[in-house]
Amino acid sequence: MSDVALTAEVLLEHEVGLHARPSVKLTKLAKTFRSRIDVSPGPDGPWIDAKSIVKVMGARAPKGTVLHFRAAGEDARAALDALVALVRNDFETGAAGEAE
Amino acid sequence: MSETDPRLRKMFEAVAQAIIAHADELTELDSAIGDGDHGHNMTRGMQAVLGELDALVAKPWNEALKAAGMQLVMKVGGASGPLYGTLFMTLGKSLDTPPTRDGLAAALHAAIEAVMARGKASAGQKTMLDVLVPVSEAVSAGRSSAEVAEVARKACAATKEMLATKGRASFLGERSVGHIDPGARSSQIMIETIAEQLGDAK
Amino acid sequence: MSNVGIVIVSHSPLVAEGTADMVRQMVGDEVPLAWCGGDPDGGLGTSVEAILAAIDRAWSEAGVAMLVDLGGAETNSEMAVEMLPDARSGKVVVCNAPIVEGAVVAATEASGGASLQEVRRTAEELSAL
Repeated sequence: MSDVALTAEVLLEHEVGLHARPSVKLTKLAKTFRSRIDVSPGPDGPWIDAKSIVKVMGARAPKGTVLHFRAAGEDARAALDALVALVRNDFETGAAGEAE
Repeated sequence: MSETDPRLRKMFEAVAQAIIAHADELTELDSAIGDGDHGHNMTRGMQAVLGELDALVAKPWNEALKAAGMQLVMKVGGASGPLYGTLFMTLGKSLDTPPTRDGLAAALHAAIEAVMARGKASAGQKTMLDVLVPVSEAVSAGRSSAEVAEVARKACAATKEMLATKGRASFLGERSVGHIDPGARSSQIMIETIAEQLGDAK
Repeated sequence: MSNVGIVIVSHSPLVAEGTADMVRQMVGDEVPLAWCGGDPDGGLGTSVEAILAAIDRAWSEAGVAMLVDLGGAETNSEMAVEMLPDARSGKVVVCNAPIVEGAVVAATEASGGASLQEVRRTAEELSAL
Protein backbone atom coordinates (compact mmCIF):
# COMPACT_ATOMS: atom_id res chain seq x y z
CA MET A 1 0.00 0.00 0.00
CA SER A 2 1.25 3.52 -0.74
CA ASP A 3 2.45 5.81 2.03
CA VAL A 4 -0.56 8.10 1.65
CA ALA A 5 -2.75 5.58 3.47
CA LEU A 6 -4.86 6.94 6.31
CA THR A 7 -5.02 5.00 9.55
CA ALA A 8 -7.37 4.60 12.49
CA GLU A 9 -7.57 2.37 15.52
CA VAL A 10 -10.34 1.23 17.79
CA LEU A 11 -10.61 -1.05 20.82
CA LEU A 12 -12.54 -4.23 20.12
CA GLU A 13 -14.97 -4.61 23.02
CA HIS A 14 -17.36 -7.14 21.53
CA GLU A 15 -17.79 -9.94 24.06
CA VAL A 16 -16.51 -12.79 21.92
CA GLY A 17 -14.15 -10.77 19.74
CA LEU A 18 -14.18 -10.62 15.98
CA HIS A 19 -16.09 -13.85 15.51
CA ALA A 20 -18.36 -14.83 12.67
CA ARG A 21 -21.18 -12.30 12.84
CA PRO A 22 -19.01 -9.21 13.50
CA SER A 23 -16.65 -10.37 10.75
CA VAL A 24 -19.53 -10.52 8.28
CA LYS A 25 -20.66 -7.02 9.25
CA LEU A 26 -17.17 -5.57 9.08
CA THR A 27 -16.46 -7.13 5.70
CA LYS A 28 -19.80 -6.10 4.23
CA LEU A 29 -19.23 -2.53 5.36
CA ALA A 30 -15.66 -2.46 4.00
CA LYS A 31 -16.92 -3.67 0.65
CA THR A 32 -19.16 -0.63 0.30
CA PHE A 33 -16.05 1.57 -0.12
CA ARG A 34 -13.82 1.78 -3.14
CA SER A 35 -10.64 2.30 -1.14
CA ARG A 36 -8.23 -0.48 -0.40
CA ILE A 37 -8.73 -1.25 3.30
CA ASP A 38 -6.56 -3.41 5.53
CA VAL A 39 -7.09 -4.38 9.14
CA SER A 40 -4.61 -5.68 11.69
CA PRO A 41 -4.77 -6.85 15.31
CA GLY A 42 -1.74 -4.65 16.11
CA PRO A 43 0.16 -1.61 14.84
CA ASP A 44 2.76 -3.73 13.05
CA GLY A 45 0.49 -6.20 11.28
CA PRO A 46 -0.11 -8.76 10.03
CA TRP A 47 -2.31 -6.67 7.74
CA ILE A 48 -5.21 -8.45 6.14
CA ASP A 49 -7.69 -7.37 3.50
CA ALA A 50 -10.72 -6.03 5.39
CA LYS A 51 -12.92 -6.98 2.42
CA SER A 52 -12.00 -10.66 2.68
CA ILE A 53 -14.55 -12.37 4.89
CA VAL A 54 -12.47 -15.53 5.12
CA LYS A 55 -9.31 -13.69 6.20
CA VAL A 56 -11.12 -11.42 8.67
CA MET A 57 -12.91 -14.36 10.25
CA GLY A 58 -9.68 -16.33 10.25
CA ALA A 59 -7.85 -13.59 12.19
CA ARG A 60 -9.84 -14.53 15.34
CA ALA A 61 -9.11 -11.21 17.05
CA PRO A 62 -10.21 -11.54 20.71
CA LYS A 63 -11.98 -9.00 22.92
CA GLY A 64 -9.51 -6.34 24.05
CA THR A 65 -7.62 -6.25 20.76
CA VAL A 66 -6.91 -2.78 19.38
CA LEU A 67 -7.91 -3.10 15.74
CA HIS A 68 -5.84 -1.01 13.37
CA PHE A 69 -7.26 0.03 10.05
CA ARG A 70 -5.49 1.62 7.14
CA ALA A 71 -7.15 2.77 3.96
CA ALA A 72 -5.99 4.24 0.69
CA GLY A 73 -8.27 5.68 -1.94
CA GLU A 74 -10.76 8.41 -2.66
CA ASP A 75 -13.14 7.46 0.15
CA ALA A 76 -10.49 6.35 2.66
CA ARG A 77 -11.54 8.83 5.35
CA ALA A 78 -15.21 7.90 5.16
CA ALA A 79 -14.32 4.21 5.18
CA LEU A 80 -12.22 4.51 8.34
CA ASP A 81 -14.89 6.58 10.10
CA ALA A 82 -17.57 4.07 9.25
CA LEU A 83 -15.51 1.04 10.29
CA VAL A 84 -14.47 2.60 13.58
CA ALA A 85 -18.10 3.54 14.25
CA LEU A 86 -19.21 -0.03 13.55
CA VAL A 87 -16.71 -1.47 16.04
CA ARG A 88 -17.54 1.22 18.64
CA ASN A 89 -21.24 0.49 18.28
CA ASP A 90 -20.51 -3.14 19.08
CA PHE A 91 -21.48 -4.21 15.55
CA GLU A 92 -25.11 -3.29 16.09
CA THR A 93 -27.03 -3.04 12.81
CA GLY A 94 -27.76 0.48 11.76
CA ALA A 95 -24.19 1.60 12.55
CA ALA A 96 -23.11 4.62 10.56
CA GLY A 97 -22.46 3.90 6.94
CA GLU A 98 -23.66 0.33 7.03
CA ALA A 99 -26.73 0.91 4.93
CA GLU A 100 -26.02 0.78 1.27
CA MET B 1 -50.76 -45.82 -27.64
CA SER B 2 -48.96 -48.37 -29.72
CA GLU B 3 -45.97 -50.25 -28.46
CA THR B 4 -42.84 -50.13 -30.55
CA ASP B 5 -41.45 -53.42 -29.26
CA PRO B 6 -43.23 -55.83 -26.87
CA ARG B 7 -39.87 -56.85 -25.37
CA LEU B 8 -39.45 -53.36 -23.98
CA ARG B 9 -42.44 -53.58 -21.62
CA LYS B 10 -41.37 -57.01 -20.39
CA MET B 11 -37.84 -55.77 -19.82
CA PHE B 12 -38.83 -52.72 -17.77
CA GLU B 13 -41.42 -54.67 -15.78
CA ALA B 14 -39.01 -57.48 -15.00
CA VAL B 15 -36.19 -55.17 -13.89
CA ALA B 16 -38.48 -53.00 -11.75
CA GLN B 17 -40.15 -55.99 -10.12
CA ALA B 18 -36.83 -57.69 -9.42
CA ILE B 19 -35.48 -54.59 -7.68
CA ILE B 20 -38.69 -54.11 -5.70
CA ALA B 21 -38.68 -57.78 -4.69
CA HIS B 22 -35.13 -57.39 -3.31
CA ALA B 23 -35.75 -54.07 -1.57
CA ASP B 24 -35.42 -55.46 1.95
CA GLU B 25 -32.18 -57.21 1.11
CA LEU B 26 -30.74 -54.04 -0.48
CA THR B 27 -31.71 -52.01 2.56
CA GLU B 28 -30.11 -54.58 4.85
CA LEU B 29 -26.86 -54.47 2.87
CA ASP B 30 -26.95 -50.68 2.91
CA SER B 31 -27.62 -50.58 6.65
CA ALA B 32 -24.37 -52.46 7.22
CA ILE B 33 -22.10 -50.05 5.36
CA GLY B 34 -24.23 -47.09 4.22
CA ASP B 35 -27.26 -45.19 5.36
CA GLY B 36 -29.83 -47.94 4.92
CA ASP B 37 -31.99 -46.32 2.27
CA HIS B 38 -30.89 -48.09 -0.93
CA GLY B 39 -33.79 -50.57 -1.12
CA HIS B 40 -36.32 -47.90 -0.32
CA ASN B 41 -34.88 -45.38 -2.76
CA MET B 42 -34.58 -47.87 -5.61
CA THR B 43 -38.14 -49.05 -4.99
CA ARG B 44 -39.44 -45.49 -5.22
CA GLY B 45 -37.55 -45.01 -8.51
CA MET B 46 -38.73 -48.29 -10.00
CA GLN B 47 -42.33 -47.58 -9.01
CA ALA B 48 -42.03 -44.28 -10.84
CA VAL B 49 -40.80 -46.15 -13.91
CA LEU B 50 -43.75 -48.59 -13.65
CA GLY B 51 -46.10 -45.64 -13.28
CA GLU B 52 -44.84 -44.23 -16.57
CA LEU B 53 -44.66 -47.61 -18.28
CA ASP B 54 -47.37 -47.01 -20.90
CA ALA B 55 -45.71 -43.80 -22.02
CA LEU B 56 -42.24 -45.38 -21.93
CA VAL B 57 -43.07 -48.37 -24.08
CA ALA B 58 -44.64 -46.16 -26.72
CA LYS B 59 -41.17 -44.79 -27.39
CA PRO B 60 -38.32 -46.42 -29.28
CA TRP B 61 -35.73 -48.25 -27.10
CA ASN B 62 -33.28 -45.39 -26.88
CA GLU B 63 -35.89 -42.76 -25.99
CA ALA B 64 -37.52 -45.14 -23.49
CA LEU B 65 -34.19 -45.69 -21.72
CA LYS B 66 -33.56 -41.95 -21.56
CA ALA B 67 -37.02 -41.34 -20.12
CA ALA B 68 -36.60 -44.14 -17.57
CA GLY B 69 -33.23 -42.67 -16.58
CA MET B 70 -34.90 -39.31 -16.04
CA GLN B 71 -37.47 -40.96 -13.73
CA LEU B 72 -34.65 -42.52 -11.70
CA VAL B 73 -32.78 -39.21 -11.46
CA MET B 74 -35.88 -37.43 -10.22
CA LYS B 75 -37.32 -40.07 -7.92
CA VAL B 76 -34.60 -42.28 -6.44
CA GLY B 77 -32.81 -39.64 -4.41
CA GLY B 78 -29.48 -40.27 -2.72
CA ALA B 79 -26.45 -40.77 -4.89
CA SER B 80 -28.03 -43.79 -6.60
CA GLY B 81 -30.56 -41.64 -8.48
CA PRO B 82 -28.03 -39.70 -10.54
CA LEU B 83 -25.79 -42.74 -10.94
CA TYR B 84 -28.47 -45.14 -12.22
CA GLY B 85 -30.12 -42.24 -14.05
CA THR B 86 -26.86 -41.47 -15.82
CA LEU B 87 -26.44 -45.17 -16.65
CA PHE B 88 -29.87 -45.43 -18.29
CA MET B 89 -29.78 -42.01 -19.96
CA THR B 90 -26.36 -42.66 -21.50
CA LEU B 91 -27.46 -46.14 -22.61
CA GLY B 92 -30.40 -44.46 -24.31
CA LYS B 93 -28.18 -41.87 -25.96
CA SER B 94 -25.73 -44.48 -27.21
CA LEU B 95 -27.94 -47.44 -28.14
CA ASP B 96 -29.19 -48.26 -31.63
CA THR B 97 -32.87 -48.82 -31.90
CA PRO B 98 -33.76 -51.63 -32.08
CA PRO B 99 -30.64 -52.66 -30.18
CA THR B 100 -27.95 -54.88 -31.69
CA ARG B 101 -25.39 -56.96 -29.86
CA ASP B 102 -22.43 -54.82 -30.97
CA GLY B 103 -24.38 -51.65 -30.31
CA LEU B 104 -25.20 -52.87 -26.81
CA ALA B 105 -21.54 -53.49 -26.00
CA ALA B 106 -20.55 -50.00 -27.14
CA ALA B 107 -23.50 -48.34 -25.39
CA LEU B 108 -22.78 -50.19 -22.15
CA HIS B 109 -19.17 -49.05 -22.31
CA ALA B 110 -20.22 -45.43 -22.86
CA ALA B 111 -22.79 -45.61 -20.06
CA ILE B 112 -20.27 -46.98 -17.57
CA GLU B 113 -17.77 -44.26 -18.49
CA ALA B 114 -20.51 -41.72 -17.76
CA VAL B 115 -21.27 -43.33 -14.38
CA MET B 116 -17.56 -43.18 -13.52
CA ALA B 117 -17.46 -39.49 -14.36
CA ARG B 118 -20.65 -38.78 -12.43
CA GLY B 119 -19.49 -40.63 -9.31
CA LYS B 120 -15.79 -39.68 -9.75
CA ALA B 121 -15.10 -43.35 -9.18
CA SER B 122 -13.42 -46.30 -10.86
CA ALA B 123 -13.54 -50.08 -10.51
CA GLY B 124 -11.98 -51.55 -7.35
CA GLN B 125 -13.59 -49.12 -4.90
CA LYS B 126 -16.46 -51.41 -3.81
CA THR B 127 -19.24 -49.82 -5.84
CA MET B 128 -21.75 -50.71 -8.57
CA LEU B 129 -18.84 -50.30 -11.02
CA ASP B 130 -17.30 -53.50 -9.71
CA VAL B 131 -20.23 -55.36 -11.26
CA LEU B 132 -20.82 -53.16 -14.30
CA VAL B 133 -17.21 -53.06 -15.54
CA PRO B 134 -16.69 -56.87 -15.73
CA VAL B 135 -20.21 -57.22 -17.19
CA SER B 136 -19.34 -54.71 -19.89
CA GLU B 137 -16.12 -56.59 -20.65
CA ALA B 138 -18.03 -59.89 -20.87
CA VAL B 139 -20.60 -58.37 -23.24
CA SER B 140 -17.82 -56.93 -25.41
CA ALA B 141 -16.14 -60.35 -25.47
CA GLY B 142 -19.34 -61.85 -26.90
CA ARG B 143 -20.31 -63.96 -23.89
CA SER B 144 -23.80 -65.48 -23.76
CA SER B 145 -26.51 -64.01 -21.54
CA ALA B 146 -26.08 -66.84 -19.03
CA GLU B 147 -22.33 -66.27 -18.92
CA VAL B 148 -22.78 -62.53 -18.42
CA ALA B 149 -25.18 -63.21 -15.55
CA GLU B 150 -22.60 -65.51 -13.96
CA VAL B 151 -19.90 -62.84 -14.32
CA ALA B 152 -22.20 -60.39 -12.55
CA ARG B 153 -22.93 -62.83 -9.72
CA LYS B 154 -19.26 -63.50 -9.09
CA ALA B 155 -18.34 -59.83 -9.34
CA CYS B 156 -21.05 -58.89 -6.86
CA ALA B 157 -19.93 -61.57 -4.38
CA ALA B 158 -16.34 -60.35 -4.76
CA THR B 159 -17.26 -56.89 -3.44
CA LYS B 160 -17.68 -58.51 -0.01
CA GLU B 161 -13.93 -58.66 0.60
CA MET B 162 -13.22 -55.26 -0.95
CA LEU B 163 -12.29 -52.12 0.98
CA ALA B 164 -14.64 -49.22 0.21
CA THR B 165 -12.79 -46.08 -0.88
CA LYS B 166 -15.75 -44.25 -2.42
CA GLY B 167 -19.17 -43.21 -1.16
CA ARG B 168 -20.41 -43.30 2.38
CA ALA B 169 -19.08 -46.81 3.02
CA SER B 170 -15.56 -45.38 2.71
CA PHE B 171 -16.04 -43.63 6.07
CA LEU B 172 -15.99 -47.11 7.63
CA GLY B 173 -12.54 -47.92 6.28
CA GLU B 174 -11.57 -51.50 7.18
CA ARG B 175 -15.00 -52.12 8.67
CA SER B 176 -16.48 -51.98 5.16
CA VAL B 177 -14.77 -55.31 4.46
CA GLY B 178 -17.04 -58.34 4.92
CA HIS B 179 -20.20 -56.83 3.44
CA ILE B 180 -21.47 -56.99 -0.14
CA ASP B 181 -21.86 -53.52 -1.62
CA PRO B 182 -25.57 -52.64 -2.02
CA GLY B 183 -25.01 -50.79 -5.31
CA ALA B 184 -23.11 -53.77 -6.70
CA ARG B 185 -26.02 -56.01 -5.64
CA SER B 186 -28.71 -53.83 -7.23
CA SER B 187 -26.66 -53.68 -10.44
CA GLN B 188 -26.26 -57.45 -10.39
CA ILE B 189 -30.01 -57.93 -9.91
CA MET B 190 -30.66 -55.76 -12.94
CA ILE B 191 -28.06 -57.52 -15.09
CA GLU B 192 -29.33 -60.96 -14.10
CA THR B 193 -32.90 -59.97 -14.90
CA ILE B 194 -31.97 -58.48 -18.25
CA ALA B 195 -29.91 -61.57 -19.09
CA GLU B 196 -32.89 -63.81 -18.26
CA GLN B 197 -35.15 -61.69 -20.45
CA LEU B 198 -32.73 -61.70 -23.35
CA GLY B 199 -32.16 -65.45 -23.01
CA ASP B 200 -30.20 -66.58 -26.02
CA ALA B 201 -31.37 -63.71 -28.18
CA LYS B 202 -28.59 -61.78 -29.80
CA MET C 1 -27.58 -4.94 -10.53
CA SER C 2 -28.65 -8.31 -9.19
CA ASN C 3 -26.59 -10.20 -6.61
CA VAL C 4 -25.51 -13.81 -7.03
CA GLY C 5 -28.03 -16.23 -5.49
CA ILE C 6 -27.16 -18.90 -2.92
CA VAL C 7 -28.61 -22.42 -2.79
CA ILE C 8 -28.05 -24.70 0.21
CA VAL C 9 -28.43 -28.46 -0.27
CA SER C 10 -28.22 -30.81 2.70
CA HIS C 11 -29.34 -34.38 3.34
CA SER C 12 -31.22 -32.95 6.30
CA PRO C 13 -33.94 -30.31 5.85
CA LEU C 14 -33.12 -29.11 9.38
CA VAL C 15 -29.48 -28.48 8.48
CA ALA C 16 -30.43 -26.77 5.23
CA GLU C 17 -33.06 -24.54 6.80
CA GLY C 18 -30.82 -23.75 9.78
CA THR C 19 -27.98 -22.78 7.49
CA ALA C 20 -30.32 -20.54 5.52
CA ASP C 21 -31.44 -18.93 8.81
CA MET C 22 -27.84 -18.17 9.69
CA VAL C 23 -27.27 -16.57 6.29
CA ARG C 24 -30.42 -14.44 6.64
CA GLN C 25 -29.54 -13.29 10.16
CA MET C 26 -25.84 -12.74 9.63
CA VAL C 27 -25.79 -11.38 6.11
CA GLY C 28 -29.28 -10.07 5.45
CA ASP C 29 -31.80 -10.09 2.64
CA GLU C 30 -29.74 -8.71 -0.24
CA VAL C 31 -29.02 -12.13 -1.73
CA PRO C 32 -31.56 -14.48 -3.28
CA LEU C 33 -31.48 -17.58 -1.07
CA ALA C 34 -33.10 -21.01 -1.24
CA TRP C 35 -32.54 -24.34 0.47
CA CYS C 36 -33.61 -27.93 0.08
CA GLY C 37 -33.00 -31.14 1.96
CA GLY C 38 -34.46 -34.54 2.68
CA ASP C 39 -35.76 -37.20 0.34
CA PRO C 40 -39.30 -37.10 -1.10
CA ASP C 41 -40.59 -39.31 1.76
CA GLY C 42 -39.29 -37.07 4.51
CA GLY C 43 -36.14 -39.06 5.34
CA LEU C 44 -32.55 -37.95 4.98
CA GLY C 45 -31.43 -37.47 1.40
CA THR C 46 -31.29 -35.10 -1.51
CA SER C 47 -33.31 -35.04 -4.70
CA VAL C 48 -32.53 -33.58 -8.09
CA GLU C 49 -36.13 -32.42 -8.42
CA ALA C 50 -35.93 -30.40 -5.18
CA ILE C 51 -32.50 -29.01 -6.10
CA LEU C 52 -33.79 -27.81 -9.48
CA ALA C 53 -36.69 -26.09 -7.72
CA ALA C 54 -34.32 -24.42 -5.22
CA ILE C 55 -32.10 -23.13 -8.03
CA ASP C 56 -35.21 -21.67 -9.61
CA ARG C 57 -36.25 -19.92 -6.38
CA ALA C 58 -32.79 -18.40 -5.84
CA TRP C 59 -32.30 -17.57 -9.52
CA SER C 60 -30.34 -14.47 -10.37
CA GLU C 61 -29.03 -13.32 -13.72
CA ALA C 62 -25.68 -12.95 -11.94
CA GLY C 63 -25.73 -16.70 -11.30
CA VAL C 64 -26.22 -19.09 -8.39
CA ALA C 65 -23.58 -20.52 -6.03
CA MET C 66 -24.45 -23.84 -4.36
CA LEU C 67 -23.23 -25.09 -1.00
CA VAL C 68 -23.78 -28.79 -0.44
CA ASP C 69 -23.00 -31.41 2.18
CA LEU C 70 -21.90 -35.03 1.81
CA GLY C 71 -21.58 -37.34 -1.18
CA GLY C 72 -25.02 -37.68 -2.74
CA ALA C 73 -25.75 -34.01 -2.28
CA GLU C 74 -22.80 -33.19 -4.49
CA THR C 75 -23.64 -35.83 -7.09
CA ASN C 76 -27.28 -34.77 -7.21
CA SER C 77 -26.34 -31.10 -7.40
CA GLU C 78 -23.96 -31.66 -10.31
CA MET C 79 -26.67 -33.67 -12.06
CA ALA C 80 -29.19 -30.87 -11.50
CA VAL C 81 -26.79 -28.28 -12.91
CA GLU C 82 -26.35 -30.35 -16.06
CA MET C 83 -30.09 -30.71 -16.47
CA LEU C 84 -30.71 -26.97 -16.42
CA PRO C 85 -31.46 -25.26 -19.72
CA ASP C 86 -28.24 -24.15 -21.48
CA ALA C 87 -28.91 -20.50 -20.73
CA ARG C 88 -28.75 -21.29 -17.01
CA SER C 89 -26.36 -24.21 -16.55
CA GLY C 90 -23.28 -22.07 -17.22
CA LYS C 91 -24.30 -19.71 -14.45
CA VAL C 92 -24.54 -22.22 -11.59
CA VAL C 93 -21.54 -23.54 -9.66
CA VAL C 94 -21.17 -26.04 -6.83
CA CYS C 95 -18.65 -24.58 -4.34
CA ASN C 96 -16.09 -26.90 -2.80
CA ALA C 97 -16.56 -25.54 0.71
CA PRO C 98 -18.07 -26.56 4.06
CA ILE C 99 -21.82 -26.01 3.88
CA VAL C 100 -22.48 -23.66 6.82
CA GLU C 101 -19.31 -21.56 6.72
CA GLY C 102 -19.36 -21.63 2.93
CA ALA C 103 -22.94 -20.37 2.76
CA VAL C 104 -22.23 -17.47 5.12
CA VAL C 105 -19.06 -16.31 3.40
CA ALA C 106 -20.49 -16.84 -0.09
CA ALA C 107 -23.55 -14.79 0.82
CA THR C 108 -21.37 -12.10 2.39
CA GLU C 109 -19.35 -11.88 -0.81
CA ALA C 110 -22.49 -11.95 -2.96
CA SER C 111 -24.16 -9.19 -0.92
CA GLY C 112 -21.47 -6.78 -2.08
CA GLY C 113 -22.26 -7.42 -5.73
CA ALA C 114 -19.35 -9.80 -6.38
CA SER C 115 -19.35 -11.94 -9.52
CA LEU C 116 -20.19 -15.65 -9.41
CA GLN C 117 -16.51 -16.56 -9.78
CA GLU C 118 -15.55 -14.23 -6.91
CA VAL C 119 -18.27 -15.72 -4.70
CA ARG C 120 -17.06 -19.22 -5.46
CA ARG C 121 -13.40 -18.33 -4.89
CA THR C 122 -14.23 -16.77 -1.52
CA ALA C 123 -16.17 -19.83 -0.36
CA GLU C 124 -13.40 -22.12 -1.53
CA GLU C 125 -10.76 -20.10 0.36
CA LEU C 126 -12.22 -21.75 3.47
CA SER C 127 -10.99 -25.15 2.39
CA ALA C 128 -7.44 -23.78 2.12
CA LEU C 129 -7.32 -22.54 5.74
